[in-house]
Amino acid sequence: MSEFLQFEDVSKHYGDVKAVDHVSLTVKQGEFFSLLGPSGCGKTTLLRILAGFEQPDTGRVLLGGEDVTDLPPYERKVNTIFQSYALFPHLSVWDNIAFGLKVAKRPRQEIQTEVAKMLTLIQMEDQAWKKPDQISGGQKQRVAIARALVNKPRVLLLDEPLAALDLKLRQRMLIELDLIHDEVGITFLYVTHDQGEAMSLSDRLAVMKLGRIEQLGTPEEIYEAPRTSFVAAFIGDTNFFNGTVAEPLEKHSVLEGFLSVAVDKDYSRLHIEDFPDLECYNDKQIKEGEQIFLSIRPEKLRISRERPKPAPHLNAIEGVVEDVIYLGSQTKYWVRAGDYRISVIRQHSRFLLDENPIRWREKVWISWHADDGFMLEKYSAQDENLIQLPPEEVGETSPDPNHAAPAQPVLR
Amino acid sequence: MKPSRLPMLVTWSVILFFYVPIVILVANSFNSSRFGGSWESASLKWYIRLMNEPSIWHALTNTLIIAGVATLASMVLGTSAAFALHRFAGTRLQKVHYSVIYTPLVLPEILMGLSMLLFFVQLKVQLGLATIAIAHVTFCLSYVAMTVLARLQDFDFAIIEAAQDLGAGWWTTLWRVLIPMLAPGILAGGLLAFTLSIDDFVISFFVAGPGSTTLPIKIYSMIKYGAPPLINALSTILLVITFSCVIASQYMSNRDRRTA
Amino acid sequence: MKAETRRHASEWLVTLPSFVWLLLLFLVPTVLVFAITFKPPTPYGGIGEGWTLNTLRTLGNPNYPAIIWRTVWLSVAATAICILLATPMGYYMARVSPARRRLVLLLVILPFWTSFLVRIFAWKVLLHPEGLLKNTLVFLGLVGAETSLLYNAWSVLLVMVYTELPFAILPIYAAAEKFDFRLIEAAKDLGASSFCAFRSVFLPGIRVGLLTAFLMVFIPSLGSYVIPDIVGGPTSEMIGNKIAQRTFVDRNLPHAAGLSAFLTVAVLIPMIAITTLRGKESPRDTLREEGI
Repeated sequence: MSEFLQFEDVSKHYGDVKAVDHVSLTVKQGEFFSLLGPSGCGKTTLLRILAGFEQPDTGRVLLGGEDVTDLPPYERKVNTIFQSYALFPHLSVWDNIAFGLKVAKRPRQEIQTEVAKMLTLIQMEDQAWKKPDQISGGQKQRVAIARALVNKPRVLLLDEPLAALDLKLRQRMLIELDLIHDEVGITFLYVTHDQGEAMSLSDRLAVMKLGRIEQLGTPEEIYEAPRTSFVAAFIGDTNFFNGTVAEPLEKHSVLEGFLSVAVDKDYSRLHIEDFPDLECYNDKQIKEGEQIFLSIRPEKLRISRERPKPAPHLNAIEGVVEDVIYLGSQTKYWVRAGDYRISVIRQHSRFLLDENPIRWREKVWISWHADDGFMLEKYSAQDENLIQLPPEEVGETSPDPNHAAPAQPVLR
Repeated sequence: MKPSRLPMLVTWSVILFFYVPIVILVANSFNSSRFGGSWESASLKWYIRLMNEPSIWHALTNTLIIAGVATLASMVLGTSAAFALHRFAGTRLQKVHYSVIYTPLVLPEILMGLSMLLFFVQLKVQLGLATIAIAHVTFCLSYVAMTVLARLQDFDFAIIEAAQDLGAGWWTTLWRVLIPMLAPGILAGGLLAFTLSIDDFVISFFVAGPGSTTLPIKIYSMIKYGAPPLINALSTILLVITFSCVIASQYMSNRDRRTA
Repeated sequence: MKAETRRHASEWLVTLPSFVWLLLLFLVPTVLVFAITFKPPTPYGGIGEGWTLNTLRTLGNPNYPAIIWRTVWLSVAATAICILLATPMGYYMARVSPARRRLVLLLVILPFWTSFLVRIFAWKVLLHPEGLLKNTLVFLGLVGAETSLLYNAWSVLLVMVYTELPFAILPIYAAAEKFDFRLIEAAKDLGASSFCAFRSVFLPGIRVGLLTAFLMVFIPSLGSYVIPDIVGGPTSEMIGNKIAQRTFVDRNLPHAAGLSAFLTVAVLIPMIAITTLRGKESPRDTLREEGI
């Protein structure tokens, strides 16, 4: 049952807009899977196609091997948590949770025990007879979860379920959602534009852009090894350098038994104006002369007053500190080097005051290992717009510096 | 700067203006004098005479039958119209639909009355209770549709998807979710339709036939052809009924709002 | 495409009942009014065969310009007075405490819910030659014993204002309630006098309400029939009275249709003008208030 939920070549367009563009995707049973992307990337449409609220133009949806593409929503064993919760305002908490079971004409005894179980799970036994407008946002959220879970769906669909909550509550619900997922063991399909939610909850996630899947993998894979500059900029913070791939630096030939194997461990020199002598690990075998973006995460950069000792594959450039933002556990530096404004994060592992910390206007060296840079295809103006789109609906941008807007390359 | 008192003065003068004629009318209904110019003595004699007027009871029965039919039919038609207008807002069909629903609300009643009379005459339909009821459904429909539409403005359509998502088919969704949720709006529209139907004179007068006298038609002929003290008494009864209904419904909707 | 089709099907399904009903019983009859204008009458009050321009010719009757003129000026005057009274009321209602506001709203809505005929009749009683008001005024020496308060254009105007006023108050109040009164403070802060702030900030702010009020009072006024019939006399007839006379007294339906057709056109012109002026904003809010 590893291929539990499958989207096969699914497309959907509204007028001229391609909401979902030939997407194929497989979700495993019991997995917490997230669809992450800016607004208009098609993640919600994909979820609604699975729920049965939308019909795909092409492709099919398989659930446990069965084609459910043409089933109406009320005949699918999936349930949805709506962004607005969509609790029935005329029914009590108890009746809201019992709705699905009543519609399915389950015996009364069973309904009572199942609803009671759910009320215990969401710790709302004493609020069962309240109406939705008498409970708080977080409680509504939990009722919505219970109302869906009580039907024992094969997949639970969550459409930006935390967007309507404030930051504190969001963080608490994040933990609760994780606990509930562990407890019930149902497959969760989670749609969000918030990378923090997706990264912390998911087993795997798909980053979507303009109706297509940009990259699919575990949170670590996606953060550490973004495959495109869109992913690098959308997930977390990064520095981009605009350059051209130059000659390959070296090729190690390893003798292995009788075969001489050209090992992939090759590095390329980069032509980046202002910084003539940078190198980068070229895992994608990008050819000489290609225009690329070099992407380096701020926390992978080291900052020092002295020039670091030369070492194999170590890149170092010189710059001037333009801004220092002290954040307690870490400090963020903005360093001017040539035409670039580079963001560097330094974790404080020692008592800072003894350290004579680097200050504004100091001349510094920034260094990183060639393995920590990524050569990515160029970032288009369209990508930039997508990343800068305001978050959907209510969710305010979090003040958490780790989630702040990504660094923009300073292009000539 | 001191706020001007003019708006307050105007408001309360207008309210006084609203109620003076009504108060005098009510007072006169207890006046045994025939012309109410001077107070003779308090009496209930007009009320007693009213009770013994069979034609009034007949007219009242007709009015209630028509109002009942018109209310029920316009609730069904108006609700589905409001639903269509809201759910499919923006399509060309709904734009036309909206204008045919909206126009009867502002068009002078006499135009609707005459046009329907001509329609029935042309089709050689016998005028009577049925034609009045049909005419009433036509204008009540618009009022119900507008009232329900106003309530639909805050309706979250994700709730319908939620019901389907939880396994409810169209029929179950309609009866278990949509109608209970819209009930306050539908009832408010129905109440409005009922009141308007009971009160309608102009349109009824045009499409009424022999023997289909409604209460307003009866009142009109009493006003035109004598018997003022009887109308005082009848009007007072009507005023008491409508005032208590409106106050009760206000009280109820206020209570609703407080719990919401 | 399948979903598209299904959506269309369900749209038609919920639209058809009301749409067909109104098409048959509202649009077709309205068109019929225009058609029947060109039909000859029968002596028994029916509609004859063939086509004629006779009705159109009789509409040129010299009586009509006077009646049309009276209809227009009475409606304009009633509308102007209603809006003049309703605007300060809307302002007041939007500014007072919620409890007081509910009371005023209730007091305004109550007469609207009471029988139209009863309200007119109440005035007939009050203005009656033997009635209270007349007796008081004679007693105070303000009017002569022979002056009639009833059966003239002034009594018609008075009762028109009385019955139409709630239709002006409600939309204006609805607009005023949404008005941001800090704008008035801002205007005063910038040096405007109270009256200037009222005129240059508040009135434009409730523009939609004013236009709706105009529509809701002026158009029904043009079609007034019962008010001039009960409290008016032969010198205060309006088009509505003529339509009723042709229908019930002369039994000349084509003639009544001709007058109606004229009135329909006269009513549609301000209606289309206002709807265009008002732009996209819908009259729903007003009705929300009326429906309580």
